[in-house]
Amino acid sequence: MFQKILSVWLCFSLGSMVFSQDSFQIKGIVIDAQTLQPIEGANIIGKGLFSISSATGAFTIKNLVENTYAFTISHIGYAPQKVSIIVRSKMETVQVLLHESSTALEEIEVHSKSKQRIAKETPIVSHTVSKEFLDKNRENSLMQTLSKIPGVSTINIGSGQSKPVIRGLGFNRVVVVQNGIKHEAQQWGNDHGLEIDQYGIENIQIIKGPASLVYGSDAIAGVVDIQPNKIPLQNALNGEVNVLGETNNNLLGVSAAIETRKEKWFYRGRLTYREYGDYKVPTEKINYENYIFELHNNNLRNTAGKEANVNFSIGYVSDHITSETFFSNVNAKNGFFANAHGLEVRTSSIDYDSSNRDIDLPFHKVNHFKITNNTSVIMGKHTLHFDLGFQNNHREEHSEPVPHGYMPKPLDSKEREFNKNTYALNMRDAFKPNDQHNIVAGVNVEFQDNNIDGWGFLIPEYNRFSVGAFVYDQFEIFSDFHFLAGIRYDYGLVDTKSYYDWFPSTINNNDGSTSYVNLQRAQNKTLGFGNINASAGLSYIRKNTTYKLNFGKSFRMPLANELASDGVNYHMYRYEKGNLDLDPEESYQLDIDIEHTVKQFSMGISPFVNLFDNYIYLNPTSNYYETLQIYEYTQAKVFRFGAEISASATLFNNLQLNASAEYVYSKQTSGAKEGFTIPFSPPLSGLFSANYQFKKMFFFDKPQFIADYRITAAQNEIVPPEEKTGGYQVLNISLLTEMDLFKNNLPVEMRVKLNNVFNTKYFDHTSFYRLIDVPEAGRNLSISLTIPF
Amino acid sequence: MLSILLITSCSSDGSMDKDEEKPSITVNYNEGFPQGCVLLAKGETYNFRAKVTDNKALASYSIDIHNNFDHHTHDDQVTECDLAPIKQAINPLIFIENYSIANELTSYEINIPITIPDDIDAGDYHCAYSVTDQTGWQSRTSIDIKIIE
Repeated sequence: MFQKILSVWLCFSLGSMVFSQDSFQIKGIVIDAQTLQPIEGANIIGKGLFSISSATGAFTIKNLVENTYAFTISHIGYAPQKVSIIVRSKMETVQVLLHESSTALEEIEVHSKSKQRIAKETPIVSHTVSKEFLDKNRENSLMQTLSKIPGVSTINIGSGQSKPVIRGLGFNRVVVVQNGIKHEAQQWGNDHGLEIDQYGIENIQIIKGPASLVYGSDAIAGVVDIQPNKIPLQNALNGEVNVLGETNNNLLGVSAAIETRKEKWFYRGRLTYREYGDYKVPTEKINYENYIFELHNNNLRNTAGKEANVNFSIGYVSDHITSETFFSNVNAKNGFFANAHGLEVRTSSIDYDSSNRDIDLPFHKVNHFKITNNTSVIMGKHTLHFDLGFQNNHREEHSEPVPHGYMPKPLDSKEREFNKNTYALNMRDAFKPNDQHNIVAGVNVEFQDNNIDGWGFLIPEYNRFSVGAFVYDQFEIFSDFHFLAGIRYDYGLVDTKSYYDWFPSTINNNDGSTSYVNLQRAQNKTLGFGNINASAGLSYIRKNTTYKLNFGKSFRMPLANELASDGVNYHMYRYEKGNLDLDPEESYQLDIDIEHTVKQFSMGISPFVNLFDNYIYLNPTSNYYETLQIYEYTQAKVFRFGAEISASATLFNNLQLNASAEYVYSKQTSGAKEGFTIPFSPPLSGLFSANYQFKKMFFFDKPQFIADYRITAAQNEIVPPEEKTGGYQVLNISLLTEMDLFKNNLPVEMRVKLNNVFNTKYFDHTSFYRLIDVPEAGRNLSISLTIPF
Repeated sequence: MLSILLITSCSSDGSMDKDEEKPSITVNYNEGFPQGCVLLAKGETYNFRAKVTDNKALASYSIDIHNNFDHHTHDDQVTECDLAPIKQAINPLIFIENYSIANELTSYEINIPITIPDDIDAGDYHCAYSVTDQTGWQSRTSIDIKIIE
């Protein structure tokens, strides 16, 4: 045991501070007594006075009168320090030296558990993503960044848009939550991404498995939970500017953020702007069916885009109440490959090749506006959480108007418009009656109002109301053995609106006459869906190994398009037919997770088995409607299993090796496509990475070299109309370093990344452009600088 | 557990005889019709002929003739036809018909007589054939044609 040592030096030397006659201030600095490094976040508490030390260890207390003040200076990991300061004119900077105190901690009863410990104790299989991971691995979209995590992949369109896939399931089977509120956009659509600014995210929890218990409908495959950022320290004022440039699509991106907190109120804001040109693919021509598209300078014609995002939040924090209101707006416009969009081959008089930065038809634009409020109130053994949200998602798809079938040439380019307003309220009470139980009960309410416009019809207008209530208990049987069980009930109403074609179709009647009718595509219909879900699991921590076992049932309410569509999807070139008799999709899943961590080595395996009673998918039939193949929403039993394996080792202190692999097997065991897999099944894939930490070189601090080598097997398991996709190997390398360019400031972070080092031509089975045989992006050099202040 | 799963997957894979082959469709034979850039006269009747095959069982086919007055698309044949200047459609020919193929045939010749009406707009047209098999695989082909007075 070390003795508690504390010491203060109040050094007075000649100073030159100027004060007004009767108002004085104390300026001070808190430093580590041993290392003499500044200590950030130390509390300086006096009677009615408070300050907190900045990153340079400095603090200031203003508006004082001539007197003697007593302060306690404390920081976790250091012995607290009592000082008394005589305030008068001509004061010096007060220097406070704190001594590290490992012994002091032992005498304090530890009430809170570390994040890692909490994650180990809960039986739910989850993966926490830190800001460090996001900064190190940042790709063109948030989901591409996260796809490095085993079990997570993406469905991409173009260079900047992707949506999450967890263990082979995506679209509305993965819930994305931001600040406690489910992100509601047009998730069912193929050809757009996630309307969330990927900068400024500090903490993401990914749940790989059924999570309807807490997250409700849609959380069948898992959840990407983007959690609120940590609250800034008192009297803090921080900011950063990030600049990014890329060579493949000539991207330029800037993101700037600032956050500040006085005592109880805090504010933060961020602006992001990105603009990019057509991306390059390592091929000169694209062969699609019998067509050949020559590419100009390897540019994938008309895939340029831009994105402008702004967010702002205001928060309040005190001992018992924390509340933050967050406003954000994401606005993006992206072009789609011009020669063939969806499955339709198009020619145009537009001179696409005149510029690789312009966005011509076809394109889409989207605006997502969001207000959320998260409030937590601590009341004795209860903690109440309220999440309130309003979102507006406004998306338009534009393409060159062409006549089709009986539809004459439309007057404008607006093929489809979707406007969705979502209102959400979540309430939950976390109740801790004693050390053994942690009971959480909650209610989720959501209302959606969906409107459509444009000359193409895909889904009807609809309203959706859903309400759910849940309760679960995490019970500590022993300190290393936890049990979690919960149950939930949901009820949802989908109210679809009728839709008639805006043009007449020719109908040949049985009596030989001909009539011209504006055909009805959707009906007025109200459908109700109720569902019970439950989950139970165990977690057992034995020395360095954590074992988890979880069984859960999850569900998904059928979507309006699955229920009620009845029309031509022009850009997929098919006729889509809904089915009003669809039941809510139900899924049962057993998860196992074993993780072993010792100092230099860790490994984990997480297998799962999953059964769908009635998986909903769009089945291509062998029939035609007005010469277009009929695709019909149908349900089938599906059996799936898979696993992720990962291992990591640290050698010679500065070389870290990681290897991971992911695999999913899916098979429909009933229905029209019995024996086939399900759409968009990701192939077996492995990722090997090496991370070498160099010594400081010149002004490069902590330089790190990272090489990622991905090996993906061929995907031969397909379902009509998919194509088999060959395997591939891709190497990405990156260099990360900090630079002390400005004295007394935080270091500038630089990242140089080279993706697809060998400019390999390969196809991603789950990319939207795979359908038209477009390979993935070619070599890309990106340079990113983050300048904090 | 993983090894058990892998064994199950391997053993269950072979048991099912999945149809993974698309049907095929072609007009590239002597009697195939129409051939790229062919001229069709109003009032005449033509037999539209294409050969379709499948490994298991053919199901349906469709014929779609629509105007290409705005040059919005082109055919997948090797031929490049001379297109007339872009113009507005007034009363274009719209032919959209679906047919089924009975008896689970694996080979079939589409042979549909179509009379070109007299009162429609002359100009560039597009003829698209498509065929499905019973599994739901589809193949398509399209040919540029021209209707003249």
